[in-house]
Amino acid sequence: MTDPKSQSITRLITRKIPGGKLVQMEITFSDHIENVKLMGDFFLHPEETLEDLVNAIRITSLPFDPFFLTACLDQILIDHEAQLIGASTEEITSMLEEALSCKPTA
Amino acid sequence: MQAYRMIPFQMFDAFTNMALDEVIVERVRSGDSLPTIRFYGWQPSAISIGIFQGIHNEVNLDKAKAAGVDVVRRQTGGGAVYHAAGGEITYSIIGSVNLFPANILKSYEVICGDIVFALKNLGLEAHFAPINDILVQEQKISGSAQTRRNGILLQHGTVLYQTDIEKIEHLLNVSQEKTSDKLIKSVKKRVTWIQELCGASLDDLKLALEQSFSRERWIEIGGYTTQEIEQAGKLVKEKYTTNAWNYRL
Repeated sequence: MTDPKSQSITRLITRKIPGGKLVQMEITFSDHIENVKLMGDFFLHPEETLEDLVNAIRITSLPFDPFFLTACLDQILIDHEAQLIGASTEEITSMLEEALSCKPTA
Repeated sequence: MQAYRMIPFQMFDAFTNMALDEVIVERVRSGDSLPTIRFYGWQPSAISIGIFQGIHNEVNLDKAKAAGVDVVRRQTGGGAVYHAAGGEITYSIIGSVNLFPANILKSYEVICGDIVFALKNLGLEAHFAPINDILVQEQKISGSAQTRRNGILLQHGTVLYQTDIEKIEHLLNVSQEKTSDKLIKSVKKRVTWIQELCGASLDDLKLALEQSFSRERWIEIGGYTTQEIEQAGKLVKEKYTTNAWNYRL
């Protein structure tokens, strides 16, 4: 029997947002997202909002709908009255797509 | 007109500097301290990283330790900064959000306007470059970072007096994209400092900054209170020197 954990992949995606900041996504996934970190030199007010953004990505089922995830992230920003500066929810979603494009082999 | 306390330049270690900013935010919020503008340096030299940065991604920790350079995580966003002892002046401005534009980008521009004014008084054609930089001859000379908590705005930033690009490259990790020769050269071209540009001394820069931040504010020159120093010391131990804070990402 194959150990599901052996199929996990960890990827670090680094993206300089045009006109913005550097964003890094470190994600570990197999058939589901196991862990995710969102890092970089962007600004997010209030800073505590990051935890909810990361949690929203972490609980995203795979395969995922980019438009739905972006809408979820946007809603979190609205709920926190938060401002994301130097990055965007669309870019974060796009980075997740890029990270997941390297799928674990069965 | 709202009165501000202005605390002239003093040097502290990295952990105390960050703790003092946080303590003053809380004391301004509670009404125990006036809105405050402080100028400070870093002794020993240090690296500060942004609140969202991965410390291992940004800093060569072994080389920093070998060089005696402290590493601390800020409570603000933005990038990793090498703070050379005696090589820069850092400022903080702390006050109610009502004292500043509600729009964050506009508030950066307004506060950075004081630095631009100071640099112009030193004969430098400086200008604000969104999001959070100040450029002279299209090269970065100052960067700032802001946070807003419980109705209080903290913005801090550096003005480079002199720097050592090779030491920055030695201590700070650069992402894969930045390791190509072309981009390393472009980083060197993007940074400048006072000593490279004009004959102003560090004291000239201090005076220019004090004068520019005083232009449109009621200023009372002051110092740190005993309570602020005590609370900052506690915060150094409980937060800014802990792995839980500095290694959280």
